[in-house]
Amino acid sequence: MAAVSGVSAILIANVLIPLAIAIFSSGFFPYKPLVSGLAECEDSEQNVKPPFDKVIFMVVDALRSDFVYSNASGFAFTQSLIRSGAALPFTAHASSPTVTMPRLKAMTTGSTPSFLDVIFNIAESDTSTTLAFQDTWLAQLRARGDRLVMYGDDTWLKLFPGMFDRADGTTSFYVSDFTEVDHNVTRHVPNELLQDDWSAFIMHFLGLDHIGHKLGPRSSHMFKKQREMDSVIGELYASIERGGHLQSTLLVLCGDHGMNDAGNHGGSSSGETSPALLFISPLFKTMGGARHQAPIDIPDDFQCYKTVDQTDIVPTLAGLLGFPIPLNNLGVFIPDLLDVWHLYSQRTKVLLANAKQLLRRLEHSFPDHKIAADQLPGRCTTEPLTSMHEAQCAWLQVMTLIKNPISSEDQDELEPALSRFLSSAQEVLTNAASDYNLRQLLLGIGAMALAVLLLLPNAYKQLSISMHSGAFLAGLIVCYGGMMFASSYVEEEHQFWNWTFSAWTFLLHVKAASRRSCASSEQLPISNGPFSSSILAHYATLALFATHRILRRWNQTGQKFAAEPDIAHNFFPTNLYILWPLVIVTYADICVHLSHSYHSSKLWRLICIAVTATAFLFKLGSVVSDFPELLGTTHIGTLKRAFNRVPLILLSRIVFVGLLLLILVTIYNRKKTWKKEPFMSGMHTSVMHEALTLLLITQSRTTNIPLFLIFRLQAVTFASMNLSGIELTITSLLMQYMTFFASGGSNAISSVDLSNAYNGIDHYSVFFVGLLTFVGNWAGPIWWASAARHLRYRQTWKEKEAHMTTLTFHIATSSLCVMVACMTLRAHLFIWTVFSPKYLYMMAWAVMGHLGVNLLGEFS
Amino acid sequence: MVSSPPSPTATGAMPAIHGNNSNSSHSSSSSSNSGGGPPPILKSSPPVRILPSQLARIYSLAHPAAVLLGFAVRFPQLVNDPVSEMLNALPLLAASQVVFAIICLPPAGGSFDNNTPGSSSGATSSSTSSSSSSSNIILRPGRPARRKGGSGGSGGAGAGVGGGVLGGLGGKVIPSLLALILTTLLATPVLAILLVLFGAPFTTHHAQTALCAAHMALLTAVPLVYVHGVDGAVWKEVWGAGRPADAVWGAALGTCVGAWLGAVPIPLDWDRPWQAFPITILAGAYLGFATGTLLGRTKWVYGKRLRFTEEGELTDKKME
Repeated sequence: MAAVSGVSAILIANVLIPLAIAIFSSGFFPYKPLVSGLAECEDSEQNVKPPFDKVIFMVVDALRSDFVYSNASGFAFTQSLIRSGAALPFTAHASSPTVTMPRLKAMTTGSTPSFLDVIFNIAESDTSTTLAFQDTWLAQLRARGDRLVMYGDDTWLKLFPGMFDRADGTTSFYVSDFTEVDHNVTRHVPNELLQDDWSAFIMHFLGLDHIGHKLGPRSSHMFKKQREMDSVIGELYASIERGGHLQSTLLVLCGDHGMNDAGNHGGSSSGETSPALLFISPLFKTMGGARHQAPIDIPDDFQCYKTVDQTDIVPTLAGLLGFPIPLNNLGVFIPDLLDVWHLYSQRTKVLLANAKQLLRRLEHSFPDHKIAADQLPGRCTTEPLTSMHEAQCAWLQVMTLIKNPISSEDQDELEPALSRFLSSAQEVLTNAASDYNLRQLLLGIGAMALAVLLLLPNAYKQLSISMHSGAFLAGLIVCYGGMMFASSYVEEEHQFWNWTFSAWTFLLHVKAASRRSCASSEQLPISNGPFSSSILAHYATLALFATHRILRRWNQTGQKFAAEPDIAHNFFPTNLYILWPLVIVTYADICVHLSHSYHSSKLWRLICIAVTATAFLFKLGSVVSDFPELLGTTHIGTLKRAFNRVPLILLSRIVFVGLLLLILVTIYNRKKTWKKEPFMSGMHTSVMHEALTLLLITQSRTTNIPLFLIFRLQAVTFASMNLSGIELTITSLLMQYMTFFASGGSNAISSVDLSNAYNGIDHYSVFFVGLLTFVGNWAGPIWWASAARHLRYRQTWKEKEAHMTTLTFHIATSSLCVMVACMTLRAHLFIWTVFSPKYLYMMAWAVMGHLGVNLLGEFS
Repeated sequence: MVSSPPSPTATGAMPAIHGNNSNSSHSSSSSSNSGGGPPPILKSSPPVRILPSQLARIYSLAHPAAVLLGFAVRFPQLVNDPVSEMLNALPLLAASQVVFAIICLPPAGGSFDNNTPGSSSGATSSSTSSSSSSSNIILRPGRPARRKGGSGGSGGAGAGVGGGVLGGLGGKVIPSLLALILTTLLATPVLAILLVLFGAPFTTHHAQTALCAAHMALLTAVPLVYVHGVDGAVWKEVWGAGRPADAVWGAALGTCVGAWLGAVPIPLDWDRPWQAFPITILAGAYLGFATGTLLGRTKWVYGKRLRFTEEGELTDKKME
């Protein structure tokens, strides 16, 4: 390994890094194909008479199973229905992430949304997160001409735009509101019960969830709320019992997810994944079968009565209401409800329809396996090895039973065979959706470990040459790697970088102090720069400390202290007279640097001024349209009128083209008149850097723009400090990470800032939106990668190689640690909420931040 | 600005006690001032040894353990009500630190003048002159340093000559008083500022930050001031964290590093009351104090300096 030379090690490692990430990702985020279109009726299904023609779908947010079934429950009437047999109780397993939108998707499409779905939901704009074009039981009802009404959580309205004839959405924004949100639903109930035009009446109550978030599941408000919900059930049941147009109405009561002991949800603890599910109708009383007890003792894992999957709601509704099962469904008809059909043939037909649908789904997901083909009669005599094999064998049995003439004994066999197929097919399909390809995970980790090992000898050499900085960097890499295994530290990663940066500043201070004492003894001037820089050098570390402290408070991120007041969200909106001068000064500063960095003609200066002014106008215009609160009430009117006619897209395009023009002119003229001149105490600037700054500012939030003034101050400070090669590398690394978090980034998907993702483009394009999003969110790191290059302008190729070795080593080790953490902690409660987002961020850091910015910057 | 209050008290008090020697110190300092050019190499006081008496040896081990034990015993109260507990503990901590200093440490000017009686006054006075020329925050008490350095030298000489005349309690009371005054007026605000710069809340928790800084100042500054007085060269080294290791500097550095490490558990999502702002920092500071005090004296560390020079620097200079 040591034989590999420095450059080729860097090269191979940097090829290995994206490769390892690609392999690991394919195993970590398995691709799950969705079938598009709407399922249609098959002939065989039509002669099954559906027992119900209407459904009242009542969702109570965060209705954990014990809230309905326990001794302490307020659902007294519902429990009496369970005892009488009119209500069939279940626990519906909700898979992680246990938040409302993915759960509603599961309950309406019958498929479990994968983690990537969740990301795309957030990444896409608000209007496109719909299920309007997916096959759901709502779409099925709608397709056959039924009407739907909806009251409650407006997530439904976002998911199903235009689906409801009457709707009244409530936002779940004000969590402290316990009563109004639900009153807003219940006040519609009496009126809707009188109407006979709907066939699905959806309610979504939010109050219980709000109480959970605010006061926890044991609060006294909880019982009152349960009583309130119970009374709604009573009202609905009474009108169903009364007959009339509601006589064959199915009432479904369910929670979308549960809650943990703290009253929160999102993870995969048993409390969060165990909502209650009840099918209620007077019809069920006539069915045979065992009566259930109620209330019952709640087991520790909240699995009350029979546990079914949340997706099972979809085929069950399809069977009970008589519509085709949605195409992407992974659910299985709940067998307890089969008893509503007394005829055996009808029951098997319902199951067969479910089986055929799952079979199509299987064939779509696994095109390699020929399930329907009669290929393996012999192999099914042995004990099935995999659930896939079991599904194949069960289907084979079903087919033989159907093909052969039906005798009475066969009939008894068909239903268990169908059930066997359904459960094994469901297992295969859900595992395909959520399971990891362990081989690929290990392969990806192996490739990344190889990259680390390749770099290790060179990196060790670099670090051991410079004792203290090397030890610091080694400690940093080890701590950072270890941190990836602790969810809190991943959430609060910014604390680590702030903490390390203050230590680094302290070390630089110690170094400067000891060097000063040496310098004074040797009568050497500290720096060759002008007077101002020596003063700066004297107070350099103090300036760094002070500016860092400001950066730290600029945007509060993370999880724990995210709500604390900060500069960008609390100070600026109330102190606009400080924000706007700072913004203007930032633009002016760039303009001055741009026009001075290249001193040829007045025309050049004019162009610089024009481009900067356009950039500022664009920013102002986007603030007027998107963030009017940043302008105050006095000017907003005039500004709105002024920007009414200005197309912002055009402005931003002018800025981008202008910047490109500036850079092209510079490159063209580089050999003629371009001179590198020390600007402001040794900090060299270039048109490239200033143009980049302007681009980054254009892609930044307005409140973050003054950050770039501070960045420049810090860069000038670093320039005055005469840092060695490794010190510059460490500084560059620390500043990149620190500023990423200072400008509001975190390791949560929700902190991705999309406000500048569409600058200059008028339609969605993965490449451009992705690029602009990256530039906007990584503005700080990109700026510092460029600034660090200017700080290192004197470096020889050897030093550059050391720089690249160190950076690559850092990114490889941290990626390796994230990957290992994701693999070993894949059963962890926070795998989807903390570790997987961190993995995605790590991908962005490694592929875009490291390869795209740091390495590419070396060669530009 | 900050230093102006202590200087008149010091200047007023010193001549009253060491009246006969104040002349010489004045003359030496003025001569070095007129000379202008600083000496080629800054010479500051060597690392401090614990006093050789049996009591000092035992108590120097018992003190950090006792401080830590006291902190551990009062920890539940600290978690319950940090502000009042920290406030109530201040006098006790101050008293115990002063007792520790008086029993175990050589008072300012006492120890190293015995080693090098001739050069010390020159060294201290010259260093103070250089310190007053460079405007550093901590070095601002330059003027009292001049007095102190001179009087310290005289005290040493007095102890050498007269034995029991000044070497008793009087020679220890003044440094400990000075230590307490400077700790309150100078070290606490400086440490509070440092705490904020290292990430302590700026707009809230003012009482917590101030009290945390006060505790840290008592742990760090009282022994340092007691031993070194206001010797500019020493404080310049303290500012640059370049003092040679001993029990006193070990305690100071240990306290600060411990406080820095104390921030580690704060981000954890354990939702424990002790994760609130100054508690872990303070716990780290106390632990660091005890560790630093004990570690600084051990023969492996004693006398070594925290240096941050490296190979890269040499190449840097060559390039210039």
